[in-house]
Amino acid sequence: MPSTETETDPAAAELAESIDLRRELADTRVGEVLDRLDAELIGLTPVKLRIRQIAALLLVDRVRRRVGLTSGTPTLHMSFTGNPGTGKTTVAQRMAEILHALGYLRKGHLVSVTRDDLVGQYIGHTAPKTKEVLKKAMGGVLFIDEAYYLYRPENERDYGQEAVEILLQVMENQRDDLVVILAGYTDRMDRFFRSNPGFRSRIAHHIDFPDYSDQELMAITETMMQTQNYHFSPGGAAAFRDYIAARRQQPHFANARSIRNALDRMRLRHANRHFAGGAAVSLADLSTIEAEDVLASRVFTGASRPETAR
Amino acid sequence: MRITQGCFSFLPDLNDGDIRTQVQYCIDQGWAVNIEFTDDPHPRNTYWEMWGMPMFDIKDAAAVMLEFDACRKAYGGRCYIRISGFDSTHGWEAVRISFIASRPENEPGFRMIRQQTSGRSVRYTIEPYAADRPEGDRYRA
Amino acid sequence: MNIQKPPPAEKRGRYSAGVLKYRDMGYWEPDYRPKDTDLIAVFRVTPQDGVDPVEASAAVAGESSTATWTVVWTDRLTACEKYRAKCYRIDEVPNAPGSYFAYIAYDLDLFEPGSIANLAASIIGNVFGFKPLKALRLEDMRLPVAYVKTFQGPATGIVVERERLDKFGRPLLGATVKPKLGLSGRNYGRVVYEALKGGLDFTKDDENINSQPFMHWRDRFLYCMEAVNKAEAATGEVKGTYLNVTAATMEDMYERADFAKELGSCIVMIDLVVGYTAIQSMAKWARRNDMILHLHRAGHSTYTRQKTHGVSFRVIAKWMRLAGVDHIHAGTVVGKLEGDPNTTRGYYDICRQDHNALCLEHGLFFEQDWASLNRLMPVASGGIHAGQMHQLLDLLGEDVVLQFGGGTIGHPMGIAAGATANRVALEAMVFARNAGRDIVREGPEILEKAARQCLPLKQALDTWGEVTFDYASTDTPDFVPTTTAAE
Repeated sequence: MPSTETETDPAAAELAESIDLRRELADTRVGEVLDRLDAELIGLTPVKLRIRQIAALLLVDRVRRRVGLTSGTPTLHMSFTGNPGTGKTTVAQRMAEILHALGYLRKGHLVSVTRDDLVGQYIGHTAPKTKEVLKKAMGGVLFIDEAYYLYRPENERDYGQEAVEILLQVMENQRDDLVVILAGYTDRMDRFFRSNPGFRSRIAHHIDFPDYSDQELMAITETMMQTQNYHFSPGGAAAFRDYIAARRQQPHFANARSIRNALDRMRLRHANRHFAGGAAVSLADLSTIEAEDVLASRVFTGASRPETAR
Repeated sequence: MRITQGCFSFLPDLNDGDIRTQVQYCIDQGWAVNIEFTDDPHPRNTYWEMWGMPMFDIKDAAAVMLEFDACRKAYGGRCYIRISGFDSTHGWEAVRISFIASRPENEPGFRMIRQQTSGRSVRYTIEPYAADRPEGDRYRA
Repeated sequence: MNIQKPPPAEKRGRYSAGVLKYRDMGYWEPDYRPKDTDLIAVFRVTPQDGVDPVEASAAVAGESSTATWTVVWTDRLTACEKYRAKCYRIDEVPNAPGSYFAYIAYDLDLFEPGSIANLAASIIGNVFGFKPLKALRLEDMRLPVAYVKTFQGPATGIVVERERLDKFGRPLLGATVKPKLGLSGRNYGRVVYEALKGGLDFTKDDENINSQPFMHWRDRFLYCMEAVNKAEAATGEVKGTYLNVTAATMEDMYERADFAKELGSCIVMIDLVVGYTAIQSMAKWARRNDMILHLHRAGHSTYTRQKTHGVSFRVIAKWMRLAGVDHIHAGTVVGKLEGDPNTTRGYYDICRQDHNALCLEHGLFFEQDWASLNRLMPVASGGIHAGQMHQLLDLLGEDVVLQFGGGTIGHPMGIAAGATANRVALEAMVFARNAGRDIVREGPEILEKAARQCLPLKQALDTWGEVTFDYASTDTPDFVPTTTAAE
């Protein structure tokens, strides 16, 4: 008696006549998530376009299922490839919200993990660890960063293989329950998929995240500074443009993440400068980053010891 | 007979969809969900075998169904399986809901033994008929 | 006592022989701020015509603490300022001209630790017959944590009771054996067996089932335990029957309780009329003997029901949680006995919360910290039936014993069928609530659907579906929730 009955939607016949997709979009509030994605992420035009396409596909698919033109859950697992700091985690979060809004995920939370969270240290450790992570992710998105580390062909005793098998099984059998997003550097992900056809065949959408252009990174910088109530002097801004160009050439460049780190260090130098100066400071002084705060960076001083990505 | 322990034994057997709704309720209350099984359904048998550890920090009932499925594969039909929700908040720190999610097809029930003692008093003992056979072998056809 | 015109205190010494106004003797201190360790009582004071409410309230403070009608010099042998109860606030009762809420603070040293008898004798000992008052009611009491900690509290408590019974996630179900009087032990046990086998968790002796010519207590206990054990074997569930051990003397009560324990009962019961000291003794006995202690509030309506005079049941509920019973009848709202929904909600909160917030619309005048004292399981009993299951679950929550006496035993197809109907209705409702259904709105539909697969429930709904007891309550809160401007 408590079982829920499957009901055929009496509105289906009506809908078959004419379906207002815009209404559908508004009803699901997916539009809001897409708009937020547009507003909060600078650049990434191809990514945003792909997300919109996927959202449109899923929205139409939803309608088609309701009127009986399709059945079954589509495969929704994805791969996000690109360099660090290109917005993969943020987009994954929005993707989880979109899938939740469209009814493809029941909860829409994101569980972000790396190999260490899935693979154990001793025999018998991996399966419970992987299952634990999968259980936490049920109803949402499991985001596996640098997924290629799961697979280490050079070590035949590697426990990663066990995690891979469990993952593949769940990705196949519990498509209603969770969506897996594999992420990492483009070239390494390519190699990973080549040696793991099982994963490749279960991924429905590949999205490539391009590096940010210098102008985009400058815009990102300014947005970040605005939220912290800082701004550049004209000289400071010019210096930071040079910084971006120089930093990009150096190892461990991580797009927006490198920018955030650079900003943190500029604030340190800015504070230190005023502190060392000893004179009274004005409100403007407290919020203006000058060229000297930028130019003291190791990026300009030959980079004998390059900064790390984090 | 039908053992009526747990809070839904008077309803028709729950299907997976039904179980999901109750498990999701537990999760939404912030309770940890635990799966246990036994082939000794004596009402005072408190400690059923745990199927793995209680599940903390999960968001969706699918996580429990994954384990429940596995438990049912291993013990379904020859054990009782119960699902319970545990509340760790102060003042409770106890099970808050518990229901039988799978039971053997045939439930022979309990034997009641009356030990006659002095006067008109009787000492009562009940034991599952199934317990006549060794553990693990009790509900096989 | 004399409220006419004694000379003002400043004209003569405070301790000169003679009569002084209570307000001038230190029992009215509008500037007093109660200490955390003070016990605070709020009384509804209705003075005789012409009596000043402040003087009347100060008199209540005086007569419930150190005062007598005249000044006594022996006060000066004591730290009498400390021992005087202090009335510090008087409010008019909304919509009741001539009545006042008087707040009175009592120092902790006025009370013997862990004794309800002493507490009751202090606060309600003398003062209720005081001539200058038309009527007096003890409305509520704030018990300081330091005092709460001197009491055992419920012998078992809700959590451990559930663990012992292995029953979680739903209200418990009970029924009082009917007819109340006249059944022989053997016939009585039949009712117990049928009801428990059919699906109830508990059956119950009524308040006046003790040891009468038609059934002596040992007979009842013996047959009841045969029934309980047989029902356990038939269902695989823990079952119980509240064996009423109320008797003429404490020795008799202990004898009966010990026999109940010897027979393997998990619960015994007593009536409120045995008195606070006997209740506390039985609570201690219950804790020593792993027994759940059920209290029937027999007699309470004689002093709790009328709003103007007596003691509010919320005070009795507080005392009983301190005293240490595990079950207390606390109203049904929808059944046959007195019970306003908001007032009843207040009682339930007193029984079940670790911390009561001040909530005037539920009749709770004070914040009350229970300092982790066990929770007390409320019991809803009297004129309720399966057709009200959605309302009962919604109003009373999960930690409650729902007792369907007539609603079980009066079932057209027999007692077991009546029990099954109640249990199925309950489980279907709990299931639906957990599954996210709006049980208040969809309740009848949920019951009807459950009845399609359960004939006894169908018959129960056909028999009692329409029965309601819609009478105005007498004991209602004086404060209504005010809507805020935002709404």
